[in-house]
Amino acid sequence: MRTGSTVNRRTAALLPLVAFLAALPSMAPAFFINFVMTQTLMLGLAAATIVFLAKYGGMVSLAQFLLFGVAGFMYGNAALEAGSRGLNLGWHPWAAVASALAVTTAAAFALGALASRTTGLYYLMLTLVYAVIGYFVFAQITEISGPSGITSIERPELLAAPVSLYYTALGLSVLAYIGFRALGRTAFGLALQGVRDDPVRMASLGFNVPLHRTLAFALGGFVAGLGGLVNVWWNGQIDPASIGIGPTLILLIIAVIGGVSHFEGAWLGAFVYVLMFTYLRDLPLIDRIGITEARFNTVIGAIVLLIMVLSPQGLAGIADRLRRRLPRPRRPGAERPAKTTGRLTRAELIDE
Amino acid sequence: MAEADTTDAEPDGAAPIVQVRSVRVAFGGLLALRGIDLDVARGERLAILGPNGAGKTTLFNVIAGDIAPTGGTVAIKGVDCTRLPSRRRPRLGVARTYQKARTFEGLSVADNIYLALAGHRRRHRVPWRSAVDRRMRAEAERVAESVRLGDHRGTAAGALAHGQRRQLELGMALATEPEVLMLDEPASGLSRGEREHLVTLLEALPEAVTVLLIEHDMDVAFRIAGRVVVMADGETIAAGTPDQVRGDPRVHEIYLGSEGGT
Ligand SMILES: Nc1ncnc2c1ncn2[C@@H]1O[C@H](COP(=O)(O)OP(=O)(O)O)[C@@H](O)[C@H]1O
Ligand SMILES: [Mg+2]
Repeated sequence: MRTGSTVNRRTAALLPLVAFLAALPSMAPAFFINFVMTQTLMLGLAAATIVFLAKYGGMVSLAQFLLFGVAGFMYGNAALEAGSRGLNLGWHPWAAVASALAVTTAAAFALGALASRTTGLYYLMLTLVYAVIGYFVFAQITEISGPSGITSIERPELLAAPVSLYYTALGLSVLAYIGFRALGRTAFGLALQGVRDDPVRMASLGFNVPLHRTLAFALGGFVAGLGGLVNVWWNGQIDPASIGIGPTLILLIIAVIGGVSHFEGAWLGAFVYVLMFTYLRDLPLIDRIGITEARFNTVIGAIVLLIMVLSPQGLAGIADRLRRRLPRPRRPGAERPAKTTGRLTRAELIDE
Repeated sequence: MAEADTTDAEPDGAAPIVQVRSVRVAFGGLLALRGIDLDVARGERLAILGPNGAGKTTLFNVIAGDIAPTGGTVAIKGVDCTRLPSRRRPRLGVARTYQKARTFEGLSVADNIYLALAGHRRRHRVPWRSAVDRRMRAEAERVAESVRLGDHRGTAAGALAHGQRRQLELGMALATEPEVLMLDEPASGLSRGEREHLVTLLEALPEAVTVLLIEHDMDVAFRIAGRVVVMADGETIAAGTPDQVRGDPRVHEIYLGSEGGT
């Protein structure tokens, strides 16, 4: 089938990239792998859940970083036996992993259900409220977050070597990318896109619209939870400040500069963000022109602004446009809609 | 709902498949429906006529469950579904189209019809593709073909011309093989050839299918319908066979007289 083969073609195009990334640790310095790339992959994973909900469901969620954090806190509480300032449940690491994912998914289901009758700007506002409340819950209930975070969290033995964390993040990212894209062609994914385009029509076709939105949000929460686990293993600790409004907005910025209508964009945006964050401050010129640590965020903001002005579709949008410049045989019957809705275009899904 | 009501003469005395009783709808101070009674027999082809603003679409919305009436009741197949949410009504065999085509702009023609099928077969939460899926896809393509959208299977609904979107709406409704098919001005915006095709399609429906048709095109309406109800200002003002209605002076005055205005 036409659509099937296009998905396969994109997936095939992914192979060389994945092979390259898999070989990267033998070529690049350890710092680049374990710091830049691992962080890119785990933030990309979390940002991909924003893309998933926005692109298919029309739901722009600001709660994804909270869910990322919920998984981290739950793992920290469950895995540590003693000495931390959390619950010290002392479970087997893999039981801790399972519980973290279960709790995150359940939390996402509950939060998603509560928001399932909201759309558009109200969805954004409500999920922002989730993020704020979530932060305060962890900041004030120190039994589950430790007075200043849960520290010395260890990863399962299997992942002891630093590079194995990179491979974990890579594997999860590839799975999420392929999985999300494939989901878009299944009944569930198509129905989600139908809900995005016209919820009233979906209801009259017999669909339970709020439940569909809720299930999508729970799935997004599960994947964000996977990213959150990698994060807590990578950091070795987690504290409430790390899931505050700042990081929440950064994740949104990552998704936006990457391009909210492309899954690639999530990782692309994360890569650019981590690069800026890591290397910009080391550039020799920067001190001399008055950009010090304190003004660093302004610079990132300016770069984000520049990307957005150049391409409202973000970096993935720029890449897409370049790709379209190249002459390529057009497939028949794959016309794009003339009308796009600006912020999130719906056209992109058609012949991916 | 055990009332044996025979306000409208039933040809064979069977219980009506759609039964509307004293339905009122108020939008703020505006009474869009002022007490509508309507019985539709199984297999009947009913045209609803009336000037713009008469309340025809509102009546459809009440029957399909898109809005709850301010007063009165609606029963489908003898089941009182006045408060039943719209998403539960397809299970009673109801499918409808909208006056302003409501399709999924970002999805292709085939995907739009596929979704109608998936919703109908309760397969819409399946997160993988299976053999059932492939069959539904093949079916969706056949439906697209039947509403003359075969060449546009892969086109996004948002990129279709107006008339094509109406055809797609029709395809989505037909795909579910409904028992009660409600069409809100399906011929508007269609070319002459497309109208002919529409009439052919509707005439070819199995006899047991009940059709409720809102239509401004008299030609289409009178060819399809065995009975006509005329609405004006939230009330039914006349009912009968096409010939009876055509001859009714009130209809001439209220509706046919003003037809030139629309
Ligand atoms: N959602 C609504 N809110 C307020 N008024 C409405 C709404 N829908 C319909 N109306 C009003 O109800 C009356 C009947 O409308 P409608 O049922 O669409 O008429 P018709 O389909 O016969 O042209 C009109 O006066 C219309 O303006
Ligand atoms: Mg109308």
